[in-house]
Amino acid sequence: MNYLLCTLFEIKWLPDIWAVILVSVIGFGVVISLLILTVLFLVLAERKLLGFFTQRKGPNRVGLWGVLQTTADAIKLLCKENIELLSSDKFIFTIAPIMAFASVILLWCLIPYNSEFHLINSSVGVLLYFAIASLPMIFHFLAGYSSNNKYSLIGSYRSLGLTCSYSIVLMLSVMSVIFLSGTMDLDKIVLFQSKTWMIFSNILGFLIFFIATLAKLNRCPFDLSEAESEIVCGYHTEYSGMRFAMFFLGEYAELFVMSMLVAILFFGGYLPPFGMYLANAFMGNCEFCSYFIYFEQTIWLFIKTLIIVFVIIWIRATLPRLTQVSTLNMFWKYIIPISIFNLIMIIMMRALW
Amino acid sequence: MDKMVLNLGPQHPSTHGVLRLILELDGEIITSVEPEVGYLHRSLEKMAESKSYIQYLPMVDRVDYLSGFFYSYAFCNAYETLNHIQVPEYANYIRVMFMELNRLASHLLWLGTYLLDLGAISPMFYTFREREDVVTYFEKVTGQRLMYNYFVFGGVRHCDIYLDEALRIVDNIYNKIDEYEDIITENPIFLSRTKDIGIISKQKALDWGLTGPNLRASGILQDYRSIMPIYDDLEFDIILSSEGDCYSRYIVRIYEMRESVYIIKQCIEYLQNINLSNVPLNNFYHKQKQHEGEIYSFVEAPRGLTMCYLKSVGEDTPYRVKWRTGSYYSTQILKDILKGVYLSDVMSIYGSLDVVLPEVDR
Amino acid sequence: MVKKIYLSIKAILKGHFTVLKHLFRNSVTLEYPEVHPFLNHYFRGRHVLEGCRGCGLCKRVCPSDAIMIEKNDNNYLNKYVIDYSKCIFCGNCMFYCPTHSMKMSNDYELAKTNKSQLLTDIYYKGV
Repeated sequence: MNYLLCTLFEIKWLPDIWAVILVSVIGFGVVISLLILTVLFLVLAERKLLGFFTQRKGPNRVGLWGVLQTTADAIKLLCKENIELLSSDKFIFTIAPIMAFASVILLWCLIPYNSEFHLINSSVGVLLYFAIASLPMIFHFLAGYSSNNKYSLIGSYRSLGLTCSYSIVLMLSVMSVIFLSGTMDLDKIVLFQSKTWMIFSNILGFLIFFIATLAKLNRCPFDLSEAESEIVCGYHTEYSGMRFAMFFLGEYAELFVMSMLVAILFFGGYLPPFGMYLANAFMGNCEFCSYFIYFEQTIWLFIKTLIIVFVIIWIRATLPRLTQVSTLNMFWKYIIPISIFNLIMIIMMRALW
Repeated sequence: MDKMVLNLGPQHPSTHGVLRLILELDGEIITSVEPEVGYLHRSLEKMAESKSYIQYLPMVDRVDYLSGFFYSYAFCNAYETLNHIQVPEYANYIRVMFMELNRLASHLLWLGTYLLDLGAISPMFYTFREREDVVTYFEKVTGQRLMYNYFVFGGVRHCDIYLDEALRIVDNIYNKIDEYEDIITENPIFLSRTKDIGIISKQKALDWGLTGPNLRASGILQDYRSIMPIYDDLEFDIILSSEGDCYSRYIVRIYEMRESVYIIKQCIEYLQNINLSNVPLNNFYHKQKQHEGEIYSFVEAPRGLTMCYLKSVGEDTPYRVKWRTGSYYSTQILKDILKGVYLSDVMSIYGSLDVVLPEVDR
Repeated sequence: MVKKIYLSIKAILKGHFTVLKHLFRNSVTLEYPEVHPFLNHYFRGRHVLEGCRGCGLCKRVCPSDAIMIEKNDNNYLNKYVIDYSKCIFCGNCMFYCPTHSMKMSNDYELAKTNKSQLLTDIYYKGV
């Protein structure tokens, strides 16, 4: 991005401010198209994988091996009627799915996809990420609250209760990462791991962060705010059509972006696992090769992310759901003390090191 | 404090049919429960009074579509006892074999849907895979997957049963039960959702009229198979658990499946040693005069004691048929045991009782 | 406490690997419109009538009143109509037929667009 911006500044083709806007729009467009493609792929991948885990075939009717299934579903949802209850709070009911989806898009802009393409490059990137990442939960709550349905209400206060428990754990384990690397910049955290990945020095922190991530994503075994066997669909019971699709796609986009964050914080982000780029290994150190490296970095990030996504889907296929009470017990009585212990250990390690 | 009235059902993903639970919630804690049944009433008892015995026989499978053979047996047994029809020994063995296979299918379905209620996805598909084998076997022998119409007055419809296939199916199921247990039994999340949840004490279970696996999970040794004459020559254990919580109900059913496999193998062994090829078809229209009298026959169905009251006044149609089904009593007890539990435990308790709504409403 | 945590983690991992094992097993899906299930000759599908004398016993044993028999002036069978909207495929008409003229085929695709099309005259009028 900076490279493109500098080029535009140099050739003086546009006024500087317009160059910045143009570059931002291009970057944003790239991110959004990436998001939509990934989400369409991810929904299909989850359905296929759950099928394979249960000796089924998964969707295989639309397109070759069912690749167009999610696209067809999305088109179907677009064409459906948006049903609104007369007694619902219309304004909040309408904006909640839009805002929830929009905040997830913002998260995608914060991720360093490779060493160049980093849309919002902030020195407090981690902090910014978690500030924005807590937004969808608020809109989930508002959606449940405004739809005037008892099941939605229960779902939304369950999700609030869950938020109170996981976000502390999430921040405590991220703090251990920040203390280890000494920076809040996502780019620098990635570069810090060029020798060893963070997971090897902070395994406990990784496990805690992963569990909290599952809770944050409303995934199994923490999917209590939309537990379909208890409270029909949780906060989006009353939603239909494209508004439902916003929640649905937003959930998957969040799943992917959180997995990317896990990859960045603990698995070296876009860095290759062997300490050497394949492009360099095959083509030597030419100038042309550096462009390939950007692609390779993104591909490494995506491979790492997909492995984490696979594990999350695998967990979904196996584990039953926890209850609200046992989740709160687990987080407050066990995981928060463990994560504080972990943080203290990390600080001591850092001080003595 | 204000209380919220939550109407769980009749259309709810996990009430397995159309049960309506009127819950009064204080936060997530339930303060009062009112189960309401009757949404699936098909008047199967009243229907009997206008249909001849043979016409009513196919209807009997529909009392509970998950374990049709037990209801066929109860009705056939009542009729046979009333009219002094002798059932040949091979037919009794075939009946036991099919009933136990049906118990397997029913328990497998229960296991899958129960775990789906608790949020686990995969076990449901695994149990349905095995249940599919059983049901396909039933289809091959009787002609339909759920509504068999296979037991008739005086025996079974035909004796062309594929014993090798049955043996293969039960062997497969016996191995697969271990696999389910690997996934479920020791899982800490499953334990946290079932251990010490929904405890039914001995006295409470007897007071509310529970029968079958639910009663045995509370530690009361009561299995009507042990006093049924057709089970006389077969060896099996009665599974007992003492805690009375959801977990012990799960364990009782899991081990009962293993016992069923054991019983089926004994039946297959007996049937393989006798020649069934010359047995005539049992398709004849009973034109005989019906005996007068009344009878109450019983059978140990997967969901508890099932009894069929049959009164005849010598006409072609029964004077009165009354069904006593296990699920009805399991639904009643909800009023007692759901008080004071969390909303998320409602499903783990209700699911563990193995209620099938068509059986409740008839 | 430590032992309990160890056992829980072991159980969770055991469950996970049991599920993972299924990833490498063949799927059991029956792709219905392309692949048809195997049906034995005991299967109860659409009725086939041959050589019926019209005694009407099937009408008497039918639990759902789905059979309508029409005879002509010479007391011969004229029409034998089964109402598939009522039929429950119990097979009583086949089992209790004294002349074994009622059979049930393996044809199970009975969906129609109109309810009146479900009233099917299955009497085979020979040459």
